Amino acid sequence: MTNTISRRDFLKLGAATGAVLAAGQMLSPLAAQAARESGQIDQQGDGYISSMCEMCVWRCGLIAKIKGGRVVKLDGNPQHPHSRGNLCPRGQSGLMNTYDPDRVLTPLIRVGKRGEGLFRKASWDEALDLVASKMLEIKQKYGPEAMVFSSTHNLSQPLFENLLYGFGSPNYGTQRSLCFNAMIVANLMTYGMEEPGRDYKNVKYIILTGRNLMEAISTSETHDLSHAIDAGVKVVYLDPRYTKTASKAGEWLPIRPGTDLAFHLALLNIIIGEKLYDQSFVSRYTVGFDELAKEVQRYTPDWAAQITGIPAETITRIAHEFAAAGKYALAHNGWRTSNFVNSFGTQRAITALNTIIGNWGVTLFPALEEGAGLGSPPQPPYPRISALRLDGVPWKFPFVPLKLGIFQELRNGIYNADPYQAHGWFISRQNPVLSIPDRNKTLETFGKMDFIVTVDIIMNDTAWFSDVILPEASYLERYDPLLPVGDKAFIRQPVIEPQGEAKSALWIYKQLGERLGLADYFQYADEEDYLRQQLAPLGVSLEEVREKGYAEMPGEGKLEYSWNTTSGKVELFSETLANAGFDGMAKWEEPPMPAADQFYLLTGKVAQHTQFGTHNNQLLHKYSDEPRLSMNAKVAAQKGLKSGDWVAVTSEVGKIHILLEATEAIRPDCVFMAPGFGHISKGLTTAFGFGASDSVLHVTYTDPVSGGQALSQTFVSVEKIAGAPNEPVRKPLHLGE
Amino acid sequence: MAKYGFLIDASRCIDCRACLVACSVENNVSMKSTRIWIKDSAVTGEFPDLKRYSAPFHCMHCADPSCVSACTVGALKQNADGIITYDNKACIGCRYCMYACPFEVPHFQWDQQFALITKCDFCVSRLEAGQAEPACAATCPTDAIQFGSQKEMLALAHDRIEKQPERYINHVFGEFENGGTSTFYISPVPFDQLGFPTIETTESPAHFNRIATEEGTPIIAGAVALGMTGIYLAMEHFEKKPHTDRKPNGTEEK
Repeated sequence: MTNTISRRDFLKLGAATGAVLAAGQMLSPLAAQAARESGQIDQQGDGYISSMCEMCVWRCGLIAKIKGGRVVKLDGNPQHPHSRGNLCPRGQSGLMNTYDPDRVLTPLIRVGKRGEGLFRKASWDEALDLVASKMLEIKQKYGPEAMVFSSTHNLSQPLFENLLYGFGSPNYGTQRSLCFNAMIVANLMTYGMEEPGRDYKNVKYIILTGRNLMEAISTSETHDLSHAIDAGVKVVYLDPRYTKTASKAGEWLPIRPGTDLAFHLALLNIIIGEKLYDQSFVSRYTVGFDELAKEVQRYTPDWAAQITGIPAETITRIAHEFAAAGKYALAHNGWRTSNFVNSFGTQRAITALNTIIGNWGVTLFPALEEGAGLGSPPQPPYPRISALRLDGVPWKFPFVPLKLGIFQELRNGIYNADPYQAHGWFISRQNPVLSIPDRNKTLETFGKMDFIVTVDIIMNDTAWFSDVILPEASYLERYDPLLPVGDKAFIRQPVIEPQGEAKSALWIYKQLGERLGLADYFQYADEEDYLRQQLAPLGVSLEEVREKGYAEMPGEGKLEYSWNTTSGKVELFSETLANAGFDGMAKWEEPPMPAADQFYLLTGKVAQHTQFGTHNNQLLHKYSDEPRLSMNAKVAAQKGLKSGDWVAVTSEVGKIHILLEATEAIRPDCVFMAPGFGHISKGLTTAFGFGASDSVLHVTYTDPVSGGQALSQTFVSVEKIAGAPNEPVRKPLHLGE
Repeated sequence: MAKYGFLIDASRCIDCRACLVACSVENNVSMKSTRIWIKDSAVTGEFPDLKRYSAPFHCMHCADPSCVSACTVGALKQNADGIITYDNKACIGCRYCMYACPFEVPHFQWDQQFALITKCDFCVSRLEAGQAEPACAATCPTDAIQFGSQKEMLALAHDRIEKQPERYINHVFGEFENGGTSTFYISPVPFDQLGFPTIETTESPAHFNRIATEEGTPIIAGAVALGMTGIYLAMEHFEKKPHTDRKPNGTEEK
């Protein structure tokens, strides 16, 4: 009976997506045959195949249910530490990315004006030859540095780096400065590692600084936090908004934006002043405690109360509670932590708090080195690159790691031709048109480019403005390099054949590399050969890994009391920072404030979407809320506004129209909108024109130490506009009829 | 045969809607229908003293199901394991079940050409295929939805209330509602605050339905089915707009 429903709906889906699915339904020999041989799918093409999610960067293990050569359901892999059998809404919807009717399934070459959306189909040979010849032309005319490369961190990143560094360009953009540069650089300066792991097993007290784990879901961590709360662990949650995490936390503190630093400095003041810290840990394993102790003397709870809006008694009580939990306490350093130019200071204060409470090895653990123990194809060293980077790393921003870079400064460097003019941009799995603050400026910057090429699975906004689009296979259709997690290396493998002409990044980069004379950086015959070379030191066959979903790795990381810092200890005060003219430790820095008639513009994740890449997924569209601007209900009433009104939101750099939602769940001085809506590519049938884009409003501010974009430092005014510029509002399906 | 059961804990639900998406995919629910909803208290109180609760809501799988008794053609059936299944081949689209269900669970798929009912069936095909849990329970990142035997789930519900009386109200929704069900809810706030239907009776009205339906109204029902298809076609006609007409609902100015 259920089968009948299934068949009927599959036919419908097939009809909707046209010829695209006809290709997908056919099992081409490669992956299907491999899966059959390993017994994962039967002769009818039915079965279950293990792989890995890519709906966000958490990378949950998944098990794909295959029927007739089509993926019909995804479930969490119980053996994978990131999913433990669960998937979030995005993970559950993943097959709709693959079967998106808007998939780009052949290489496309632009024929109209940029942004007009006119392309013609091309063969891979023609498209790759064109890309290579344009890149070589730019290299010859202006030098390799005139080619900019950017890609959001993913498992194929090592090969992407081979492409850009092999080509000889220093210009490498990632998404990290729009996300967590502040946290990464603070951890590097304190612990000498990017991000220590967190462990909730023994935790007794948690301070979450804007880490909205119940909406910005990292499946296993969200699960851990939820169970900790069930078990009675106290969670103190700082956020100007009453989020779903706030509703689960024991205590919600609606702190004034940009003042988390003051709150944490006051905690340090009390814990150090009253000698409530772990003195033995501090004396054995840290440097710079005395400087820190001296500095925080002036940050009294009364001082912090005036700045943060949180009563001094509350701050004192939380300091006492945190200290009482001792090494079982955890101050979470957050996720998207680049909010204000003082966010680096906030992150340093959080690392100091964790350090002095002595939670190392209890709730915080050393992170393992990624990729250790796996093999890789041989490759020559990169050519020497002498050109300066357009994003100012490290010549303007000495502490930002090269592999993080500063995306918004890269855009500015191109825009200002500072220190030279770039001419070409190679973009992979990324949508900078929507992600970088100040979209109008980004589009103008695109206008300065002679050549733009984008690798993506759909016609995202960046692809829409590109000259060549190279269609990538979706994460359910391709191999990627292995992902080591703890004592296992997990595989992403094709659970179905790529549709149309779509190809893996491993294939695309290699093909391009060969045309650019960089074949030596891509010494693998195909994707499977690359994985076999990775597995060689482990002595495991690819077939075995494909069937199991992972390979065992030798030994787990052990707890160590040495840190990869200059001193080899945890650095509460950093000589390196001080010598470069920055604060050696966390110090108060007053963030800018909105004018009387303005609001802080806050953005943050919702559970159903990831950044700028999932809004065309029909299943997520079906179950996510209508994008609205949240405003405090009392403030809205004062302004004569109510839920459902259309408002114009104006910042220094742009203006949007959006529906208003009057709610008690936000501070009076803030407004909030979910990011990633307002797509301008007409190649996105579902997402085009739905909601408005936060990037239109965001003003570009870069933290000089970490390079983080201060995403909450944009101030806006909100005015009612007459009439609705659109069709009737979509009814939220999940709330019933 | 042991009965299956769900335990849904509103104190754990984070309204992420993973269960809704999982259910839609597992059961090929059409893009305009759903078998699970979020019941939500909305944000209550005044800033900054606020509360908010939510829970996924789907078929309760009653012990004496009103929908089954109202179904004139046997499309809705109760299995020995307590699952109320639905046979779309037998359904004529009369929608009696929708009126009969006190929980307002069966929904009409207006966007389908031959409009039929959709409702939770415990992912029965999934269980038959040997998978351990229905799609919603399997994927829930916070274990707000749990699946097991009806007996276990009811015991677990009481156990949790007993161990953390400050966390839950002393009410297992579904234990007695409509004469008892296979889906149990526990919550920090009274269920009417979550938007649950208030079910006064502890006895199912199913037996009254049986008197009506067993007399038989298949001819009328057949006519109703035709009528529904007519309505569908009319709606399609009026709803259809060329794609080019679509305007952005958020606009930007420079």
